[in-house]
Amino acid sequence: MHGNANFSNTAMPSQDLPHLAQLNFEKLSPRYAQSNRYIDLFSTAIIMSILFIVQLQSFMPIPTEASDVLMFIIWATAFIGLISTVYTVIADKRKFYALREQDLNYKSGVIFCKTVSQPMLRIQHVELKRGPIDRKIGLAKLQVFSAGGSMHTFEIPGLPLETAESIRQFILDHKDVNHHG
Amino acid sequence: MDNSSENFNHDLADTLKPCETLQSTQDWQRISPIAIIYFLAKFIVGFLSNIVVFLPALYLSYDNFIAHPHLWLPIGLGIITLIGLSTFLSFYFFQYRLYQDHIEIRSGVISKTYVNLPFAKIQNVKLEQPIYYRPFGFTCLQLDTAGSAKQEAKVVALKVEFAEQLKKEILAQHKIATSAALDDKTDDTNTSTSDEQNSEVILNTRSISDLIIHGLTNNRIWIFLGGLAPFFDDFGRYIVEFFNGLGIDLEKFLTFADKPMWQIGLYAVTLTFIILLPFTLFSVVGSIITFYNYTLSKVGDRYIRRSGLLTKYEVIMRLSRLQMVVRQQDWLDVILKRINLKFEQSNNALNQYQTGAENSRIIVPSINPSECLALIDDVYPENKMMSVNYQRISKRFLLRNLGYILTPIFVLLAISVVIGDKANLLMAIIPGYLLFSLLIYMRWLRWGYAKDDNFIYIRKGYFGVDYYCFPIYKTQQVQFKQSWFQKRHQLSSVRIVLAAGPQDIPFIKQALAYQLLDTTIYQVESSRKSWM
Repeated sequence: MHGNANFSNTAMPSQDLPHLAQLNFEKLSPRYAQSNRYIDLFSTAIIMSILFIVQLQSFMPIPTEASDVLMFIIWATAFIGLISTVYTVIADKRKFYALREQDLNYKSGVIFCKTVSQPMLRIQHVELKRGPIDRKIGLAKLQVFSAGGSMHTFEIPGLPLETAESIRQFILDHKDVNHHG
Repeated sequence: MDNSSENFNHDLADTLKPCETLQSTQDWQRISPIAIIYFLAKFIVGFLSNIVVFLPALYLSYDNFIAHPHLWLPIGLGIITLIGLSTFLSFYFFQYRLYQDHIEIRSGVISKTYVNLPFAKIQNVKLEQPIYYRPFGFTCLQLDTAGSAKQEAKVVALKVEFAEQLKKEILAQHKIATSAALDDKTDDTNTSTSDEQNSEVILNTRSISDLIIHGLTNNRIWIFLGGLAPFFDDFGRYIVEFFNGLGIDLEKFLTFADKPMWQIGLYAVTLTFIILLPFTLFSVVGSIITFYNYTLSKVGDRYIRRSGLLTKYEVIMRLSRLQMVVRQQDWLDVILKRINLKFEQSNNALNQYQTGAENSRIIVPSINPSECLALIDDVYPENKMMSVNYQRISKRFLLRNLGYILTPIFVLLAISVVIGDKANLLMAIIPGYLLFSLLIYMRWLRWGYAKDDNFIYIRKGYFGVDYYCFPIYKTQQVQFKQSWFQKRHQLSSVRIVLAAGPQDIPFIKQALAYQLLDTTIYQVESSRKSWM
């Protein structure tokens, strides 16, 4: 099976190709960003309150030096929590996906922007993943596996369940069409 | 799994004598008792690799052993009997059969495994002959599937002739399955391959001296430093004189106790060399053990690698399974004009044998450029790996790594060292900085890419140089990456994911990157060729 068994691609002028630079990106569900925000805020709050309880409880009084360190850790947690919430807010606004007839595309990243394109023809299997929060708010994460290995699993988070299911069906149908015919 | 115990008594009569013809293997078969050695060896290897865990316990209870031989002797004998019994049972419960173009294997004493593998799904057939099988003419047959790592099958002890026969059978089945899928030109391929079936062409062999070179070059720098050791004295003196000529008294500068610094350094280097010499020897021995009697041959569209001093390996790869050709040269290889050529297959197939990865991939060690060219042309006749014009990546790669990462770190380090009044540490920091700068420069110099109608080529390396070449339609996924800073300069990085791993091209013009990815995806999607 050499490169040119029955296919040649020489004459194709490059401006006629479908362009990755001109994809029609769609937004993720707004509930996704919202839930991420809450998860961030709540987990920060929970960690901080646990640390506060440790510091203020009187069953096992902690030495003053340790108490200072603990206070510092509490503030550091608050700061990191704030930063990560701000980052999530910005990052979630910059996540998009685009479907084409032959491939799936997902764009993300704040400082390092990345667009991953997964041709349907190379998909080995598809998974919908839904954690407890996703189930509560009706979202799903679409995972697509290729032979590129688990490091290169193509992933679109925060899709409304119906959309995710229809994309999955689209991929499965697509594979059927292409396999022998 | 359940019916294995039900049928057990049933099968007993049939399976006691291994009758080895393809027809008679439709019933459950037991392998030859020679497999007991295999299971024993496997157990010992497993035990030895875990011995570190037992060692402290053994050490602590040594006195105890000596003091109470009447107690420990029976226990020791008991353990040995247990090992013997468990290896015998492993052999006893290992059964296989060939049934309607499936191979089924049952194994396991306590936790039973059952593998059912259709011939058509088998990707690779490998023969592995450990040294203790050789006098008896037995071999292990290893079958790989494309998919999950768990579904592998190994028939542990078969007569060599029978294994060969079986291999042929399986591969023939595979051929029928694949050529049935391609509706046209079945006749052509069938007739041509059946002719080729019998004629195996040897493409390459490696002599012992090649393997010694391979061992040396793969251990890289150390041996070379060692080779220079006799000249160090003169070299050191020359440097000192050179600085004297500039009016700098280097010895006074560096005097450390009553020995000059360069002498101490020299001793250190010599010592390092003496310590590393055994490693180099190990590397040579390792190379000979792995690649002894190396042959690479070709039957039809299959490439076969055979090698091994102790355990003989035979690895077979169909051309369609090949994902990427890698032509590798370390800097010592560049000097000696030798090349390691690798035919990379899907990573998933290799993961199963993490320990023996070297043994299960097709690599041609330390060949010379003309042999290399011939082999690459044999695999991909239209490739232009060595003649294509490689485009270098942008100079901003240098600016980013040197200007924004390395130099600030260096400056900070230098300032903190000077302020901390340990200025002589600068002697280590400055050469380090220069070395890293040189590495980054060489990285930039080497990194290039090219593309033609069928292939993408990538050149990479530091002082050595590696060439990667893969057919575009083998691409699994593409990624376009761009940071803020790159965006300002219309630059971007590209990652092309293959089944054999990802390939990166950083710092190329954004327009070129898009064009590269657009055509790549187009070729994958429009050609509809299978990647394996």
